[in-house]
Amino acid sequence: MCSSGPFLSVDSLNLSLGEFSLRDLTLSCDRGEYHVLLGPTGSGKSSLLKCILGFHRPESGGIHLDGRDVTRELPERRRMGYVPQDYALFPHLNVEENLRFGLRPRNISSEEGDALVNRLCEVLHIERLRRRKVQHLSGGERQKVAIGRALGAQPKMLLLDEPFSSIDEGAKRGLWLELRQIVGEVGITTLHVTHNLEEAYSLGQRQSVMIDGSLVQSGDTHEVFQQPASERVARYFNYNNIFEGVTEAHPGGTRVDLGHFGVEVSENVAPGRQVRVCVRQQDIRIIRDGVPVMQSLERNLFSGEIAALIPLREEFVMWFKIEGSPNRYDLEARFPVRMEGRHRLHEGKRIRVGLWEPRIMLFER
Amino acid sequence: MNRAFNILVGGVSALLISLFIVLLVGMALELWQQTSLRAPHFSEILFAARLSLYTATLASVIALAVSIPVAYAFSRYSFPGKVLFDTLLDLPIVLSPIAIGALLLIFFNTGLGKQIEAWFGPFVFEVRGIILAQFVVIVGLSLRLLKETFQTIDVEYENLARSLGYNRMQVFVKVVLPMARRGLLAAFLLIWGRAIGEFGATVTLAGATTMKTETIPVAIFLNFESVDISSAIVFITILIAMSFGILFFVRKTEAYVQ
Repeated sequence: MCSSGPFLSVDSLNLSLGEFSLRDLTLSCDRGEYHVLLGPTGSGKSSLLKCILGFHRPESGGIHLDGRDVTRELPERRRMGYVPQDYALFPHLNVEENLRFGLRPRNISSEEGDALVNRLCEVLHIERLRRRKVQHLSGGERQKVAIGRALGAQPKMLLLDEPFSSIDEGAKRGLWLELRQIVGEVGITTLHVTHNLEEAYSLGQRQSVMIDGSLVQSGDTHEVFQQPASERVARYFNYNNIFEGVTEAHPGGTRVDLGHFGVEVSENVAPGRQVRVCVRQQDIRIIRDGVPVMQSLERNLFSGEIAALIPLREEFVMWFKIEGSPNRYDLEARFPVRMEGRHRLHEGKRIRVGLWEPRIMLFER
Repeated sequence: MNRAFNILVGGVSALLISLFIVLLVGMALELWQQTSLRAPHFSEILFAARLSLYTATLASVIALAVSIPVAYAFSRYSFPGKVLFDTLLDLPIVLSPIAIGALLLIFFNTGLGKQIEAWFGPFVFEVRGIILAQFVVIVGLSLRLLKETFQTIDVEYENLARSLGYNRMQVFVKVVLPMARRGLLAAFLLIWGRAIGEFGATVTLAGATTMKTETIPVAIFLNFESVDISSAIVFITILIAMSFGILFFVRKTEAYVQ
């Protein structure tokens, strides 16, 4: 059966798990989509995943897969491939036996089974591991076997619960690429749960953000990361430049008075409103002397000094203190490492920065 | 200070080990000093050993078969009164075997007990009684060991298998039992060892009749009672050898698992 609506839809789902609950959750995944369910630890992502898989029974609401209502269906009949956080590879079986484990309930012939296992080994590049004990696999190899086992059961969709949580930091990015290739090759609809922002951004075509048991935003990856729907989402994304202020009428838009400085936006907001202003770290630019300032930056230019600089592996973080500010610093900015040399940045240096106006966010309280 | 701690730990351990060595040496000396050595008749040894092996094995198999579903239920599900029932099932571990035997004896004096004897044959002063007494004594231990075994198996394995299309029964057979196999083996050997040494409940329910309900512990009791120390020592040696063998095998199994 094939439906014209979303491939997976979760409608107004409520689930109570002791003191924790999922409230009025609505989520949808299109056919073939790679959807990331993102949220901090303890936000209820895994509980929602288990609800979709059938391990938790919701109190109300519905779950539809490919046009079929599966809300009350047993987990074994849902045909959803599952890769849990620690992969749960059966320790009493070797790699090939783990892969074949998912074939048995489907009653497929041994020839078909052999062909499927061969194909999985080929796609996952685990041919040489077939006879190996699962205890002797690396984190990445375990992950591939777990994905292969889930795919072997020929599920309608794939659900991954924090699949990179036990992978070494250095190996993660290579495996993101491999996972994307594998899923792309198989062409399966995927729902991937993670709390890792980089992982979500790199893998997901669409994102849904969960905080405290509620789904607070869904949308395309770029849209969600560029325009968080609320201050809570912005804070979760570590957009640390969030200020509280009052709107004022201003020619060509609105000015938000933040005390010792103000921010101008082109958006028209009624004066006297209490709002929160959010500026992402990457939307703060250093203004070079003698170079014309771009129009999007010239409305919000600030002079001051570098309060602190911390180099990270691929970028550095700068804390900037606006001239006359009573604070230790006012703005946090992130730049590629090469910028440090280009601008000869150091702590205490006086510079000018501009805020990229189209990306400034206002959240009404 | 570290040296004092090491001496304390090592010293107490050495004393405890010495206690059991002294007991064994004492038994050997007693045998040595016996003026008139008298070994029990071979047929009596054979009877006691065979009866002990038969009853302990049967009681252990039944206890394990009963404990597997019950221990699984207690390790996986929440239900009203769980703590109360769990405590009730733990009672045989702490209860005196004589009390268990007495409870069984009293039960078979009730209407239901007599009806059960009418259906399945007599238990009191019979081999069936030995098996039942051993079963009741060991089933609590069996449950405790299996609950721990099942609790160590992450429920995520079962979830995973269900997502692959297996129903609950298939998951239990294909995932839970194979993953618990070493725990099951260790539990079986331990309860078997406990059953083979069982005396209190056995003697209370099945009595101590030579060549009828004479297990090895009953034979030790009967020989001591008739002041035949050397024969009693022969039976004690057999019991020690069997128990030591089982415990050693359990240790080896556990080491293999680790």
